Amino acid sequence: MRFTIEHLSKHFENKEVLHDINFTFESGKIYGLLGRNGAGKTTLFNCLNRDMKADGGSFCLETEGQRKDIMPEDIGYVLSTPTVPEFLTGREFLLFFLQIHGESIKDKASMDAYFDYMSIAFEDRDKLLKDYSHGMKNKMQMLVNIIAKPNILLLDEPLTSLDVVVAEEMKQILRGLKKDRIIIVSTHIMDLALDLCDEIVLLNHGVLTEVDKTDMDSQEFKEKILEALRDNAAM
Amino acid sequence: MNKTFKIAFSLRNTYRVNTILYSLKQIPLIKRLLPQELYRDPDLKLLGAILSGIWEFIKAFLGKLLYFLLMVTLAAGLYETAPTGQIFLHIYVLLTLIGALLNTYIFNPTKDKYYALILLRMNAREYALVTYGYEMAKVLAGYTIFGIIFGKMCGLMLWQCLLLPFAAAGIKLSVVAYSLRDYERTGRAVSENQVGVKEWLVIAGFLAAAYGLPAIGWVLPAAVSSGILICGILLGLLSVRKIWTFGEFRELYQQLLIEYMSQMEQARTSVKRQSEKAIQIGDTSGSNREGFEYLNELFIKRHRKILWRSAERIALVSLGIVCVCILGILFVPEIKRTINHLVMTNLPYFVFIMYFVNRGTGFTNVLFMNCDHSLLTYSFYKRPECILKLFRIRLREIMKVNLLPASVIGAGLAAVLYVSGGTDEPLNYVMLIVSVIFMSMFFSVHYLTIYYLLQPYNAGTEIKSGTYRIVVLATYFVCYGFMQVRIPTFAFALGTIIFCAAYCIAACVLVYRFAPKTFRIRA
Repeated sequence: MRFTIEHLSKHFENKEVLHDINFTFESGKIYGLLGRNGAGKTTLFNCLNRDMKADGGSFCLETEGQRKDIMPEDIGYVLSTPTVPEFLTGREFLLFFLQIHGESIKDKASMDAYFDYMSIAFEDRDKLLKDYSHGMKNKMQMLVNIIAKPNILLLDEPLTSLDVVVAEEMKQILRGLKKDRIIIVSTHIMDLALDLCDEIVLLNHGVLTEVDKTDMDSQEFKEKILEALRDNAAM
Repeated sequence: MNKTFKIAFSLRNTYRVNTILYSLKQIPLIKRLLPQELYRDPDLKLLGAILSGIWEFIKAFLGKLLYFLLMVTLAAGLYETAPTGQIFLHIYVLLTLIGALLNTYIFNPTKDKYYALILLRMNAREYALVTYGYEMAKVLAGYTIFGIIFGKMCGLMLWQCLLLPFAAAGIKLSVVAYSLRDYERTGRAVSENQVGVKEWLVIAGFLAAAYGLPAIGWVLPAAVSSGILICGILLGLLSVRKIWTFGEFRELYQQLLIEYMSQMEQARTSVKRQSEKAIQIGDTSGSNREGFEYLNELFIKRHRKILWRSAERIALVSLGIVCVCILGILFVPEIKRTINHLVMTNLPYFVFIMYFVNRGTGFTNVLFMNCDHSLLTYSFYKRPECILKLFRIRLREIMKVNLLPASVIGAGLAAVLYVSGGTDEPLNYVMLIVSVIFMSMFFSVHYLTIYYLLQPYNAGTEIKSGTYRIVVLATYFVCYGFMQVRIPTFAFALGTIIFCAAYCIAACVLVYRFAPKTFRIRA
């Protein structure tokens, strides 16, 4: 499966944030989206998730030569600040989600199995979400986004504010999820990108470019990324 | 000092001009006309500077004009217990004391002081002295002009008129000097906006003395008032030295401004905290429904207090008013005809009443803060069929909430009409009830529709849509305008029913057509 973006562009007044983007992501990989502050990473995600109307261009999924439009259920978008309906308990939120999706979820597991998978303790499952910690809210958000098995998972700065244990758990979950799926992680932290991601994509001056890692050790690769970001910034 | 004055003034001006340009940018249509380099455009900067200058002029003179005209001169003219000039001085002396306590300027933490002293680290003493001096100059200028005009109108001598501005400035200076001494003694800077109970009692006492005593014939003799004013000037002169030599402005402002900024921050987050508080944790009972009905039932259950409480109170108060009216008619039959006439001709008033009674904006506010703010970040929630399904459920709920007070008001009106002598046309009773219920339905649909079509909030739960603000404001003015309309009840009720039904249908069509695209968190 391939996720193809063609001629995607977006501008705010005179500033062109996304400039005729053409790029293809392939399933089975985690892509690290790196860019400097204000490069347009969140704008790109918002356009892909249709939270923001792009000025032009299209994106679609391609499976065995067949193209299909992206539907809302194809995309899971995990925000850096977790937002969950605080008046529900963890279990109620999950139940609501499962009811909405009904039969469309394949291999539905029991609710407790889902909570176990995310390492959410038994005693926390029936608490109101407003009383969850930041990390637990993040896990709930992630759970709801991956349960329906979307083809594309967008994660905006996913691990930045998590403690080391939860961050490590999340990394494991993401690595386990990448099969048959496209995961794009936007981050500022280069070490995280290098540790978690299979490919590094730079967003600079509104354009996406993949950084080739062939025949390089990690230090050389880092230097190359920094160089590319600096060069682009100087353009 | 000269340089500090220039910087302080230009800083405040820049901040004001930018605020004006930012506000212009929020107005739909106008924002499209404005260039992106808004804050760099010399013409727009000039326009902003002119508006800012006008604002400064209005602040310096219009406020003082209204003060002299309404609070002193016209008020003094109301009493006949003493010569107007004497009452004028009596009121002026007492109000000046209140003004000096409430309006010190130096102890008022403001944003421009925060920018100048905390962010730009300007010399605190110089900044305080030049800006305070500027304020005092405005007081002297404004009070001299209006003091002479209104003082002469009330029969004061010129020398008495000239006492007014200098005494006001002198008393203000004395209060500031006293407060600075107090700071040196206690080390605690008290903002002028934090008025304690003791101060409020003193202020209430002065206010009562200013306007209450003349009513019973107790007015300060003109000589005493003039004496107090002269004392104020002398005290002011003595206080100048204290203010000029005070050496701890930096410490004082550091304390005052940091406290102020943390209060501002608290106020900003309190909306979010309030809405979190609205969730009733006590109610853990679940729901047997499925899908969006399940979500809705839990939402209503856990927000019952905030969603229903005010509707219940309004219904109760309306019931009370209806009972009072009916009892009034029974015990004082002379008012029967008047009340009957009022009910038969003043139904348009109820548009405005129903506007106030309606819980629409409160309902959509809670919906966003505690539900849509989070769920709109999930793609499944934004599927068109989900948006529309939830819209239907919510419309039902908001109508239920508003129906309670509406049915009490509608039935109450019909009951009052009946008791006050009734009507030849029995259909009028039905029309009263139905039209009030239709008005309630109209507001329910209206607020939910504009919420779905204009979804005004961003992720930080701030209202970002100028159009939404304008529509809300226009709703108010249109409803207010109905109070001027005089149409017989039957005709108005019929018109209302037809209009509301048509509006509801049109609004629902628009929501079905556009909400799947518009119901998003604003970027």
